[in-house]
Amino acid sequence: MKLKDKIAVVTGGTRGIGKAIVQTLARQGACVLFTYLNSDAKAQELEASLTKENLKAKGFKVDVKDFEQVNAFKEQILDKYRTVNILVNNAGIIRDKALAMMSPEEWAEVIDTNLTGVFNVTKCFAVTFMKQRQGNIINISSLSGIIGISRQTNYSASKGGMIAFSKALAKEVATFNVRVNVVAPGFITTDMTSNLKEDYLKHVIPQIPLARFGTSEEVASVVLFLATDKSDYITGQVIRVDGGLGMS
Amino acid sequence: MVVLKKLDQDTKAEIKELISEVIEIPVDKFTDTCKFVEDLGVDSMMALEIVAAIEKKYKIRFQDEEIPKIQELSNIFEFMEQAIKKHG
Repeated sequence: MKLKDKIAVVTGGTRGIGKAIVQTLARQGACVLFTYLNSDAKAQELEASLTKENLKAKGFKVDVKDFEQVNAFKEQILDKYRTVNILVNNAGIIRDKALAMMSPEEWAEVIDTNLTGVFNVTKCFAVTFMKQRQGNIINISSLSGIIGISRQTNYSASKGGMIAFSKALAKEVATFNVRVNVVAPGFITTDMTSNLKEDYLKHVIPQIPLARFGTSEEVASVVLFLATDKSDYITGQVIRVDGGLGMS
Repeated sequence: MVVLKKLDQDTKAEIKELISEVIEIPVDKFTDTCKFVEDLGVDSMMALEIVAAIEKKYKIRFQDEEIPKIQELSNIFEFMEQAIKKHG
């Protein structure tokens, strides 16, 4: 039980990588408070399945794009649980389009959720971490934010921005014993990649040295490492979980 | 840990002493209206250290939005008075 009695907040916890992170942290003893936007049924399902395993997890409907909602969520959590130890910024969306076809709305929605959402949530919890002189922030970026992927100018920008944000914050809060790290997954089997066309897969998979997509659990296990004290000397880092795809 | 009912002169002096330790400036070298950052050369993040120390000692909670507004000692007294009034 590497995370016994720790309180972890995970945004976007009902599906894909977020769900695997919630399950992994809960199975190590953490009380996991996860947010979701639309998947009410999936949130209840996840809560129920973890409760059945005698684990602690609770879902909260929060739109990370809305600062007031996030702040209210933070107040609610602190009132009930008194402290938070780990924050995983995982909530993210894609609106893939070639730039020439991309609408201002498709650009804004991705930036607002994936980048401004990270600002909103992190700002709300950072003060708590700094006051208690302990905190661990793990941001889920993407290979797309490092190498750029065609038809993802919005997504690449948001995930790249998240990396720079994380490094700047890591420098700012290190003296308060708060660590900030990034996990950058490559192609992972989730809803987000489930609609990729056969042609695209035939083109991408040969470029992946490990010749397959990754699993959400494989990403979650890196998040777990960063969440425990085994990584106490690591901050401001970006760890890729991409089967070797992005290696320079 | 002290439970605060009101902010009298003695308590204010105690708080000033506490802050003096945090910012490492003697109590006779700053007034209630000296600006921490501009006048005393204190790092802006020091406001967080001050808040943490006061919250711990007096079991009071500052609102996160108040923290960026802490420019001088008088602001701290103000927020503490509001917090005391709020929680009776």
